[in-house]
Amino acid sequence: MKISTALENNQNKWPKKIITKVGITLFWVLLWALAARWVNSPLVLPSPLKTLEGVFTLAGDFEFFVSIAATLLRVFGGVFISVLLGLVLGLAGGLNELFYEIMNPFVTTIKSLPVVSVIILINLWIASGLVPLVVTFLICFPVTWTNVVQGVRSTDNRLLEMAKVYNVTMTQKIRDIYIPSVKPFAVSAIMNAIGLGWKVTVTAEVLANALPSMGMNLYYSKIYLETDLLFSWTLIIVVCSFIIEKATLHFIKRTKRGGTDQCQLP
Amino acid sequence: MSITIKNLSKSYGDQVIYENFNLVLEKNKITGILGPSGSGKSTLLNLCCGLTNPDKGTIEGVNFQSISYIFQEPRLLPWRTVRENLRFVMKQKAIKKPGLDEDRINGMLQLVGLETVGEFYPQELSGGMRQRVSIARAFLYPSELLLMDEPFSSLDCALKNKLMDDFLEIWKNDQRTVVFVSHNRDEIERLSQVILTFSDKPVKILDREENLIDRPRMVCPIDPD
Repeated sequence: MKISTALENNQNKWPKKIITKVGITLFWVLLWALAARWVNSPLVLPSPLKTLEGVFTLAGDFEFFVSIAATLLRVFGGVFISVLLGLVLGLAGGLNELFYEIMNPFVTTIKSLPVVSVIILINLWIASGLVPLVVTFLICFPVTWTNVVQGVRSTDNRLLEMAKVYNVTMTQKIRDIYIPSVKPFAVSAIMNAIGLGWKVTVTAEVLANALPSMGMNLYYSKIYLETDLLFSWTLIIVVCSFIIEKATLHFIKRTKRGGTDQCQLP
Repeated sequence: MSITIKNLSKSYGDQVIYENFNLVLEKNKITGILGPSGSGKSTLLNLCCGLTNPDKGTIEGVNFQSISYIFQEPRLLPWRTVRENLRFVMKQKAIKKPGLDEDRINGMLQLVGLETVGEFYPQELSGGMRQRVSIARAFLYPSELLLMDEPFSSLDCALKNKLMDDFLEIWKNDQRTVVFVSHNRDEIERLSQVILTFSDKPVKILDREENLIDRPRMVCPIDPD
């Protein structure tokens, strides 16, 4: 008799999982194709095939890759700075009440400001190319900061008591208790920041006329009534966002150590 | 030097736990404190190690840098291995040569029968094994005072006996002042040399007895089979 292990079960589930996902994607693409056929005007709704053709046309131009690289750089730059500062300042805010009180009005104000207001304001002060990066930082930072503060505050008090009795230094407490406790919150913050970063960066690129950029290509496609290219750029943005999200998740899972079950990945 | 608690008072809101409480804990002896649940036994331990501040009174003869605590739950870092958990408390009072620390960790792991699980994470161990790690941690830390807050209460009988034997074995070789609180008289009798019985709140010492029963003392009845 064959004893099936959990590993085998997982391996058996993989093809089924992929087939299901491909099936679902095909269903939505089919629905899109049917809608395009029903509308029967590529100017209003281009078909999936026309959109894909657009992607290949765009890929033939070197400018296409420059635009993607520039947008990626802005997304990563903004998200990276916001995550880095969010972790450091969030840790400080979680540990020190006064620091939290000082930071809180700034974070609350940024959170409640409409993204468009932030973009227009920042555009007044700095060069167009840098606006998306700064705006992405400003929008993503509160997400990271709030999550990290929450993570620090939910640290198991029993572990902190143990550390106090054993006279553990603050540096060691931060490294061995606070940072591992904050990790699941930080992971969730990074994932949110990446998702948000994409949307904000592209919006800021359009409003700040940042060149070269994916946002401006989207905008030009719209004003020249190239709806198929507008869809192609949108598709590229969605695919890039998906790849980056999956790659980040994969990277975080790989760096996750054996015993850190506290870190719940989405 | 013995530990002297003088005129200690502690209240939580309207609830008076200690009022002008006095107690002397003898050096290098295991003092067992018996009392009903919620009577303030754990509060006394927390006052002794500085986790809680007294409203009034003093605790003399305690060096707050030199206390170990075996809590009711093991309180191990779940993201660190057994060895790393032990190293965690040793860094403060590290002997300059790192090799010596490792030797001490290895020796202690052997003493508590965990030499094969040094690289395991706490969640990969049983409850009894985790509590052994906690005992090892308490003895690895060079303390003068060891506090124990019902560390055996959640364990089954056989494991409890084994762990208490292990504890006594280690303590015999590395004698420290121990304060052991429990609501279980058998546990207290098995380990302690001096037994104090506390009243309900506000705490008074109802009885003080020297434990003269010979070891080995059994906590649970021996199964005839």
